[in-house]
Amino acid sequence: MTEPRAKENHTVFLLTVGLLAWLIPGAGHLMIKEHKRALIISVTIILTFCAGLYAGSIGIINPVGAKPWYVAQIMNSPIVAALGHLAKTGDYYVFGKPNEIGQIYTSIAGLLNLLCIVNAVYLAHLCKTKTSGDHK
Amino acid sequence: MTITASLVMASFTIPEQIGTTPLSLLWLLPLVAAIAIVYKATKLPEIKAASFIKEAVILFGSIVVFMFVTALILYAIAWLVLE
Repeated sequence: MTEPRAKENHTVFLLTVGLLAWLIPGAGHLMIKEHKRALIISVTIILTFCAGLYAGSIGIINPVGAKPWYVAQIMNSPIVAALGHLAKTGDYYVFGKPNEIGQIYTSIAGLLNLLCIVNAVYLAHLCKTKTSGDHK
Repeated sequence: MTITASLVMASFTIPEQIGTTPLSLLWLLPLVAAIAIVYKATKLPEIKAASFIKEAVILFGSIVVFMFVTALILYAIAWLVLE
């Protein structure tokens, strides 16, 4: 009876870590007490994303006209969806090189965050497995 | 809202002027640095300042050198085709 419950808790824990890592870059690592990793990841991903927004403005987040880029961008955080909603009004025009550089920066930041989400979940799984192994 | 906050917000709503020039290729460097730092942050078993910086710099250098060599090869091929 306790084993399925423990397994269920483990899955919930992994899901929480993954969700937190997506909500705020680095938060997943913070939850598993990897403070240095969390700080490095958080600062780097947020700076890369902001650099992209600075280069191309929020107009680069285009859920309608640039769907493949948007899929990568939304890996940064759900905040991107709000920015996309804001940009959908059509008040923010961006073309050419700034659009290109902004999209590349924000999408790479999103894909890097996806790597960090997977890494945080994997480390959380290892931590939990190690802890339960120690108790046995 | 203060003037500073307004200026910060405004800088994210107007795109920068970036021309299609050879200098615009320098936008590559911060991105490569970000990739190297995040990749090493996920891969190193333990984060220690000295080893982390060393590993990230090596990866950054490797990516830049590889891209430079690729660009040279592509340039040589283009030159051969056009001549």
